[in-house]
Amino acid sequence: MANNAKHYEYSVNQVPPPGHLLMSSIQHVLLMIMSLSLPILFASQINGTAEFAASLIAFSMLAAGLGSIIQSVGLPFIGCGYLCPNLCGPSYFSVSLSAAWAGGLPLMRGMIIIAGLVEMAIAPIIQKLKKVFPTFIVGLVMAMVGVSVIKASITSFFGLSFRDDAIQSVDIFVGMFSLMVMVLANLWGKGFVKMYCLLIGMLSGWILALILIPEYWHNLAAIKDFPIFAMPAIGPEFKGITFDFKMILPFVVIGIGGSLKSFGNILVAQKISEPDLKEPNFTPIRKGLLADGFSTVLAGLLGGMAVDTSSSNIGLAGATKVVSRWISVGAGVIFVVLAFFPKFVTILSMMPKPVLGASIIFAGSFMICTGLQEVFSEEWNPRKTFVIGISLFFGLSTAFLPGLYARAPQLIQTFFTDPLPTTTIIAIVLNQIFNFDIVLGNLKNKN
Amino acid sequence: MYLLKKSNLFIISPAILLILVIFISGCNNKHEDLDLTMYKYRDTKDLVNFVYDASLILKKEGMKSLAYFRNNRKLFNTPDYYLYIYDMKGTNIYHAGMENLEGKNLWNVTDKNGKKITQLVLDALDDRNNPHAWVHYSWWEPGKFYSVPKSSCHFKVETPEGKELFVGAGINYPHEEQEFIRIIVDDAAQLIEDKGREALADISNPVSKYNYREVSVFAFHPDGELLISPAINSTFSQTNLLDCTDEVRHKPFANAIKKLESADGVWEVFMAKNRYQRNLIKKCLYVHKSIMAEKEIYVAAITDLPEPPY
Repeated sequence: MANNAKHYEYSVNQVPPPGHLLMSSIQHVLLMIMSLSLPILFASQINGTAEFAASLIAFSMLAAGLGSIIQSVGLPFIGCGYLCPNLCGPSYFSVSLSAAWAGGLPLMRGMIIIAGLVEMAIAPIIQKLKKVFPTFIVGLVMAMVGVSVIKASITSFFGLSFRDDAIQSVDIFVGMFSLMVMVLANLWGKGFVKMYCLLIGMLSGWILALILIPEYWHNLAAIKDFPIFAMPAIGPEFKGITFDFKMILPFVVIGIGGSLKSFGNILVAQKISEPDLKEPNFTPIRKGLLADGFSTVLAGLLGGMAVDTSSSNIGLAGATKVVSRWISVGAGVIFVVLAFFPKFVTILSMMPKPVLGASIIFAGSFMICTGLQEVFSEEWNPRKTFVIGISLFFGLSTAFLPGLYARAPQLIQTFFTDPLPTTTIIAIVLNQIFNFDIVLGNLKNKN
Repeated sequence: MYLLKKSNLFIISPAILLILVIFISGCNNKHEDLDLTMYKYRDTKDLVNFVYDASLILKKEGMKSLAYFRNNRKLFNTPDYYLYIYDMKGTNIYHAGMENLEGKNLWNVTDKNGKKITQLVLDALDDRNNPHAWVHYSWWEPGKFYSVPKSSCHFKVETPEGKELFVGAGINYPHEEQEFIRIIVDDAAQLIEDKGREALADISNPVSKYNYREVSVFAFHPDGELLISPAINSTFSQTNLLDCTDEVRHKPFANAIKKLESADGVWEVFMAKNRYQRNLIKKCLYVHKSIMAEKEIYVAAITDLPEPPY
């Protein structure tokens, strides 16, 4: 660790001084807040009341906050022990909505618990699959974690709230400004400026948006009636937990996809926290996946939306070289406390979309490049070319041509969902097939 | 060459922002009295702002502003929409996109489906339930040969000379705003209360304002029996709406009626299939109470729900 300390402002186990701990935690919270748009959208799409929306947000924040603490605080059997906060998982949104329509919130809660249990069950299996994850596939998974945030980041960067809506030049300007401040503060800044480059970029972008776009002023003015402190109300919607056998398959598929995403996230967190490791250490990864599944179960029990590990926050840690896990714990504590202060949460969730988009691009760039460096870190051969090339072709096609897969046979639709899980599954399978001759040769030599 | 020190940049940037704040805070927002909260899409809000701005010019400058509009056609003919001005008898006074229409009376002009567009606009301008006078029809783009679906908004203006005109603009391939169906359903509910059973024929008339694109107003009894069908205007199949379920076995009509116990109009979201999309798509139903022959009935319409951007 002494060697690691040279690379960082604050290394993984180092506790920053209180001021820096608070500032860094706030910086991460600002990035986590963006996922609260999901419970807001969810409540509006099932025609929930304002009170229902407020409670859903509060319970989701509690689950994400507690999940972040469990993931990073360093418990003996659970949690990866890296800076790896939790937030509401976008991949769960669509299936959660289907469950809520079919059987209300009780069914959504039940099915989220099932997805969480699936993730927990996968955790020990992934450790056993160590051999199917050579370094170049680990790198590919890491890069795809970054790729998986492209849609969210770019649509936010252009200020879009709804599909196919108009893009305004002023939003692009605010997004560009914010992104440039973040990047230049990171490249040219030192100490405080470098460490809080994202915070500086976000605040300056937010101020610029308030100046240039009157809509944001109007939105802020609307929150004057929100209470400063409020306990989440447990309305009739939040009572009971039910299950539906017919909904198990989509939730199992999402649970597996969520595990693969968290696997990639924790791998990146490990890479940036312990760069001297020669190969992945699967023990913290197993514990991290267990914590991820447990947090999802917790979200279902509490009545919040399913949670997931946050790629953007890990990217931010890598970019700022501040990787102390205590910051993740701090961010988790702030998230839990904020759940009881709706006024502040509403203000923070009104951060202009282009600024949010810029933040995710900033953090995602780091994820993609760290992954690519890992892919090409060892000696290359034609087998790897085809494993990576073919898996990328099909994996990325799920994002480029989503309509194509809507008409594909059901089996293909089940496995070809998003770039990250599709690329990972194809790469693992192809790597086994293309190296079959070597495995066979090794067996013969043994005999 | 003088180069700024990098550290100075971080001090100068907030100062520049502060100056901008002071500058901007001194500016007036001309759209302050225009309520656009009912619209979800920016395209729609931009269009209403565009027409409203033009109406302010016309209201202030009167007929002499026509010279300004004519000399600056490019300003009022954007890639998305163009401005037009008519008198209340349907004579075109100014058209930013189709100059050849100026001076012509379009009172009886119909779209390809037979909708009398100018007359619908004048009705909409008198409808208090339709504050931006929305009209939906088919039109064509200048210089093109195929029809396009269009939604237009309008403002009535009284010029300083005392002339009554209306100014408007429409957007091609418009987004389906929920507000559009609220307007026609509420209007249909009122029409039934005013005219009784006779109103049903007007509402189901395909060239009336109650039917546009894929949207059509329908009506039903509290037990789910149809008065006007949402899908096929025929009696060969008797559907009971209360039994209808969506793709996830949710009963939108039964649910909406439960909610109507405590409201006059309610929204209900449901899921539908679209074979070109992997996931189910969200649609919404708007139902409003009405009275026909002293009995409560329901008037409704269905539209698309805005999808998240990704």
